[in-house]
Amino acid sequence: MFGFVERAITQVGTTTVRIAREVGGIVVLAFDVLRALFPPTLDGRELVKNLYKMGNQSVPIVALTAFFAGGLMLVQSAPFVEKLQAHALAGWAAGYAVLREIGPILIALMFSGRVGANNTAELGTMTVTEQLDGLRALAIDPIRYLIVPRVVAMVVMLLALTVIGDLVALVGAAITAKAVVGIEFSTFIHSVVDNLKPYDFLHGIYKSMVFGASIALTSCYFGVTVRGGAVGVGRAVNAAVVAAAVSVMLLDFFMTYWLG
Amino acid sequence: MSDAPPPAARPVIEFRGVAKAFGDKQVLRDLSLDVRKGEVLFIIGTSGVGKSVTIKHLIGLLGVDAGEIWFDGKRVDTLREPELAPIRKRIGMVFQNSTLFDSMTLAENVALPLRKHQGMRQKKALVEARRRLDQVYMSEFADRYPAELSDGMRKRAAIARTLTLQPEVVLFDEPTTGLDPVNARRIDRLIRELSGGQGVTSVVVSHDLTSIFSIADRIAFIYQGAVRALGSRDEIRASDDPVVQQFIQGQSSGPMETPGF
Repeated sequence: MFGFVERAITQVGTTTVRIAREVGGIVVLAFDVLRALFPPTLDGRELVKNLYKMGNQSVPIVALTAFFAGGLMLVQSAPFVEKLQAHALAGWAAGYAVLREIGPILIALMFSGRVGANNTAELGTMTVTEQLDGLRALAIDPIRYLIVPRVVAMVVMLLALTVIGDLVALVGAAITAKAVVGIEFSTFIHSVVDNLKPYDFLHGIYKSMVFGASIALTSCYFGVTVRGGAVGVGRAVNAAVVAAAVSVMLLDFFMTYWLG
Repeated sequence: MSDAPPPAARPVIEFRGVAKAFGDKQVLRDLSLDVRKGEVLFIIGTSGVGKSVTIKHLIGLLGVDAGEIWFDGKRVDTLREPELAPIRKRIGMVFQNSTLFDSMTLAENVALPLRKHQGMRQKKALVEARRRLDQVYMSEFADRYPAELSDGMRKRAAIARTLTLQPEVVLFDEPTTGLDPVNARRIDRLIRELSGGQGVTSVVVSHDLTSIFSIADRIAFIYQGAVRALGSRDEIRASDDPVVQQFIQGQSSGPMETPGF
């Protein structure tokens, strides 16, 4: 019995220390990235390469997910819309949920799974094969050359993907509204335009910028701190995806509270 | 009359009582070593003895636990990361596994430091990179990715990339390990030419006896975390230290303690 308690306390202590170390490491990396941005000495080629790889290639999967997520909003609310005959509010309900919550959260999680995990694996492989030391030996700072373009690209591209995703989700909701409840497109559009404020859109955009920075920093941190070969890279990808998901949910909670 | 050594013999690199441990494993205990300008110095010893660890300290890839490291009259072991950049431009390093960037072709790999340090635009840097690759007989593979090439080819490309910095000192970490004898001798010739033609100081970590006894000016034998023997090829060959003799004759039994065996 005592052995079990001791093991449990040890486990809690070890986990707490590990999380504190990782959060501390991510914060230090954030400061290093900020320092490297003033004055900005971005490698243009790396930035463009990452913008394309992280953004362009994510559009199809984000659009597909967003379309059905938007549609789902209508499918779920359809019985109530019918019951209350609230056709004029269907667009507002779907738009409010998509712009403020579903869009930023869903796209951030998709982005973390696709782009963040890939980023951790790539940086992790470079770390275990000494390519980062190779950069240092060439007097090239890995933070400025590798990390900063990735962080900038991830923030910019998550923001752009959220804008696209929001739009596609609204289209998905409008089509579903017409197909399931028979709401005309004009009614849906009026419902969105008349009831939603620009701030509802900005609310989601602010969130996506913070989510982008969080996913970028966690994925880069776990990539450059990999230890132990291929197994280590696998562990790092796992840890990065979990940490990014947890941080997105926590940040969403606090930002929703603060942004109002 | 001055007691200063003649210029040719003046140390350009000095390790003074360097110690380094990884966890509870003490790798370097009290390593002191001078490297003279323009020489080819081989650091030899069994695997895991701390040869690579020693040279990585010189460009700040590892930090010392105790001791000092000096380069050209300046202490380098206390420098912070941003202060190391000028030192790293003067001391190039060719890693054991080449460390070419696998997302880039050979030409792009060699062009990177040209772009970053000489302000060349990508197009011009790529042209210059091909010329550099030609010097190591690799220009026909300029558009290939590192994963498509053999170890020997990757090592030659890595040497070309390091030389773009025009370093005064080049650190080679096991440059011939894993290579066939022909490629290994080509690398040896390249190292020798660098020293003879361009006056580059070379520090070579190796346990390739053919390389060691064909191109070394001096040899430092590391054992149990310190330099056990230091001298010319002939002096090391004639050493009466049984540990040194066991190593250079490649005998499996003898007085040498080799952890793990």
